[in-house]
Amino acid sequence: MQLRDYIIRRLIILPFLVFGVSVVVFTLTRIGGSPIGVYLSHEMSAAEVQQLEERFHLNEPLYVQYFYWARGALQGDFGYSGVASAPVSQVFWPKLAATLELSVVSAAVAVMLGLWLGVFAGVRRNRWQDHVTRVVAVSGASLPLFWFGIVLLIIFWANLGWFPVGRSDADIWASMPHPTGLYMLDSILAGSWRGFVDAVWHLILPAITLGFGAVAIITRMMRSALVEELQQEYVDAARAKGLPERLVLNRHARRNALVPTVTVIGLTIAFLMQGAIAAEIIFRWPGLGRWMASAVVRGDQATIMTYVLFTSVLFLFANLVVDIIYAKLDPRVRLGD
Amino acid sequence: MTQIDTPAKPLDPLRHDTAFTVRLRRYREISGTILSNPTTVIGLFFIIALLCMAIFAPLLAPPNVPDPYQMPRDWGAVRSPPGTPGHPLGTTNQGGDVLYGVIWGSRTSLQLSLIVVSVTVVIGVCIGSLAGLVGGWLDEALMRVVDIFLSIPELIFALAVAAILGPSFTNIILSLCIVFWVKYARIMRAQIILIRQADYVQAARVIGDTRFNIFRRDILPNAITPIAVQATLDMGNIVLVGATLSFIGLSESGIAEWGVLVSEGQAGIASGRWWASTFPGLMIFIWALAFNLVGDGLRDALDPKTEDKR
Repeated sequence: MQLRDYIIRRLIILPFLVFGVSVVVFTLTRIGGSPIGVYLSHEMSAAEVQQLEERFHLNEPLYVQYFYWARGALQGDFGYSGVASAPVSQVFWPKLAATLELSVVSAAVAVMLGLWLGVFAGVRRNRWQDHVTRVVAVSGASLPLFWFGIVLLIIFWANLGWFPVGRSDADIWASMPHPTGLYMLDSILAGSWRGFVDAVWHLILPAITLGFGAVAIITRMMRSALVEELQQEYVDAARAKGLPERLVLNRHARRNALVPTVTVIGLTIAFLMQGAIAAEIIFRWPGLGRWMASAVVRGDQATIMTYVLFTSVLFLFANLVVDIIYAKLDPRVRLGD
Repeated sequence: MTQIDTPAKPLDPLRHDTAFTVRLRRYREISGTILSNPTTVIGLFFIIALLCMAIFAPLLAPPNVPDPYQMPRDWGAVRSPPGTPGHPLGTTNQGGDVLYGVIWGSRTSLQLSLIVVSVTVVIGVCIGSLAGLVGGWLDEALMRVVDIFLSIPELIFALAVAAILGPSFTNIILSLCIVFWVKYARIMRAQIILIRQADYVQAARVIGDTRFNIFRRDILPNAITPIAVQATLDMGNIVLVGATLSFIGLSESGIAEWGVLVSEGQAGIASGRWWASTFPGLMIFIWALAFNLVGDGLRDALDPKTEDKR
């Protein structure tokens, strides 16, 4: 199959999957009870409650309710978040910006460190450095992020007092405008060095917490890919013609090992979204994850629905992009399987 | 039909016997490979220790009456540091003995992981087999459902389902059962389609074995190895995800569960009470690590192709 046809086919399937996800989640949330609770107050009479139900079509059958929800969602109306006391669409972007800043920084560190560690271990296969790296990588996959974050807090916040919690210092935050919602970028735009340092300082602990698990995923994949490539005949050929080991690694093996490593990008993004929930709770980071966590505990349906849908759309797109990149990089990949 | 069936019958016990000896030899080989890997042995050691802890919990820490899964409260020794007489790992803000939580938490985790893994394996194997064996529109329909389920990251899906069911530990178990069967269904279906084309299955079909017998004797035992690997990894993973859900607040407070304990200990860290969160969290880590190490070792041993991968 041609790459272009493949992309088109996947893009056609994508909306159906998103539709499927929305139906599943919508049905599940409605099984859990009516979302009327957010709009109710104690003084309301039964007639007023009924009026409200009619206004939001909650007295209709489930599929009609879904239709109204979908129509709203397509117009950018995702309902009212009880936790945030505001429409979901209004609070979504600033919270997304917070999560985005955290995940992007974690991902950047994780990719660099993970690739380096993977190469480091793969080249020293079955030596002690390799074993140590593998143990670290497996640990990263087994680590409860919420606990890891707490341990970091105990050491660096409660005992040493090196790092703060939260997202920024209140005074510094108030001293400049926030056009993007990404505080590092905002402070650069405002030309505030103090603001930038403050943003970075608040970011370090949550980014380490979130990044460590992602490092594990990337390291494992890069190591196994490199080990595989180093056994290929072209590596023997390169060595046989007298190429220094450094060049064999840099020019040949490492580049090819990067190709299968691309496939874990989707996994990493899912991991970052999931990990962000724990990291944001612990470090009081005002992002999507923390919002979702309070929504979950308090049964805020509009938020849960939007969050799950957003995550799966992101996840689906990431996997599509991964497939495309993979097919581009490796012409042997057979598409459409 | 009967003409082909009759000669197959007397051959049956012989064939069964050979398959059995072959399988036995293979298991010996596999256990040899597993035990030669030091990290897997370490994992196995931890698993055995954790299982002993769960089984002998009533001997290690006298059960709380009436409900042993509730944390006992020692209101006379609230917030004591580790090393306090009677509370070697200290107590929580509500006077719960951390050691009691650590020990009985292993029972809670064992229950959680055993229930979820067995339920999801059964559901997954059934649905996967159905899709793989029947094929056609049923296969198509089931696999589209699987695709939809796989479009939502596991933890987030489980979180949403648990939230809808309402906060309780039972509902966490239920939500994990709803979310985690999908992988098994997919593995099972792929295995069936792969194995169905193998020579020995074709041979069994030629000698006139019934479809059910082929499934039971030839397909199932061979398809089960990747399922076993996934189940081992999930034994750890499910405790990790379950503890995360409890930590977020989807469990009852006050139960002897590691995630709940970490969450409840969080309040004290600003005042220097590090122990209430640290020890239970360490247990989650050890639990997940042990099963991950053994799961990885099992995968390497069962499939020579994946040796030293991942």
